[in-house]
Amino acid sequence: MSILLDTVCVRLGERLALEGVSLHLDQQRIAVIGANGSGKSTFARLLGGLVTAESGTVSVLGLDPARQARELRRRVGVIFSNPDAQIIMPTVAEDVAFSLRGDRLPRAEVARRVAAALEEFGLDELADRAAHDLSGGQKQLLALCGAMIRRPALVIADEPTAYLDARNSRLIARHLLGEASAGTTASTAHRLVLVTHDLALAARCDVAVLFDDGRLVAAGAPGDVIDRYETSLQC
Amino acid sequence: MLTLYRPGTGWVHRAPAGPKALVLLLVVLGLSLLPSGYAAAIACGAVVVLGYLVTGLGLRELARQIVAVRWVVVITLGAQLIFLQTEPAVANTSRVLATLLIAALLVLTTRIGDLLDAVERALRPLARLGADPARVALVLAVAITTVPVLVRLAAGVREAQRVRGAGAGLVSFVIPFLVVSLKHADDLGEALTARGVR
Repeated sequence: MSILLDTVCVRLGERLALEGVSLHLDQQRIAVIGANGSGKSTFARLLGGLVTAESGTVSVLGLDPARQARELRRRVGVIFSNPDAQIIMPTVAEDVAFSLRGDRLPRAEVARRVAAALEEFGLDELADRAAHDLSGGQKQLLALCGAMIRRPALVIADEPTAYLDARNSRLIARHLLGEASAGTTASTAHRLVLVTHDLALAARCDVAVLFDDGRLVAAGAPGDVIDRYETSLQC
Repeated sequence: MLTLYRPGTGWVHRAPAGPKALVLLLVVLGLSLLPSGYAAAIACGAVVVLGYLVTGLGLRELARQIVAVRWVVVITLGAQLIFLQTEPAVANTSRVLATLLIAALLVLTTRIGDLLDAVERALRPLARLGADPARVALVLAVAITTVPVLVRLAAGVREAQRVRGAGAGLVSFVIPFLVVSLKHADDLGEALTARGVR
């Protein structure tokens, strides 16, 4: 079982960011859509163990994000919209290697895996460049590379293409949706939770969920859920 | 310091960070013990030139590093010329310049990650006193990485003020800069948590 929520409420300060959300998702690629402030990002952070539920139960890959956070983080990769805030180490290769720091692998194994991951994401020629000198698209690729090198079972991406141009958006989407990983080593078939305002991207997922004002209002085939969202937008 | 590393394959590049730092420290100590005369200045120059040639970085890189610290040289030499004779002033300034250039040799030939590993190893004995060497190394890494981000955030705040017609003022700059910096710190903390850092 992938994701299971039962009457979950999340409070952020005074505001109830998620209210009574019950959901059972087993699909490979899950799109999360809705207006700004609807609860999409809180939902993603809840699954990644970055916020905790005030009430209700949450299960991600069979784990409780609040109580089994360490185990969950070993199996889940998280990508945010702002790549600047995801770069920890000064250079590209070092930042990717940082993801393996907790695994206590031999140096040669780390170097081999970093080189393979950089090549897969087309960053191999930038390995020794200062990470903050990269373009926005390259930085987001780096963030994705840093998450994917751990071969996560689940990738949670919160508006990963928000700041990118069309070309880089397509590139990131291909990697996230598993369309760029054929014949490579770093990305095996991972599950994906994709928070996005890009409805064309959401339509390429296996299922979509729609949030409005902290409540789950629809879950099902992407086409149907997107139609419902678009209808709600008409004034 | 932030983006100094120059890739290379020479033996200095391949040498482990800890012993390399120790050797360079001993070289600097040796130069600082020389008597304050023109001979010390010549020795400093010779050691530095030799260092940049041996590492394969070359004299062009040496010139770039000297240009980068030119104001330190001007201020150090200028201040000493007021109180000292020319010979000791030149010798002392040469020692300061050599120290900076030799320190740069370390970061030019060593990846930041390897330097941080060396820092972590060096601090390991302090773990018995309750220090967490891995955390200290991580804080250093994040600090080094964050400097260019803060520079960019500061430029963004100044730009936003200019397009809205606000004049240059310390208070009107500091408050929005603090706000965006704290937001960045918040985001960075979340990213660290997501990447498995407790």
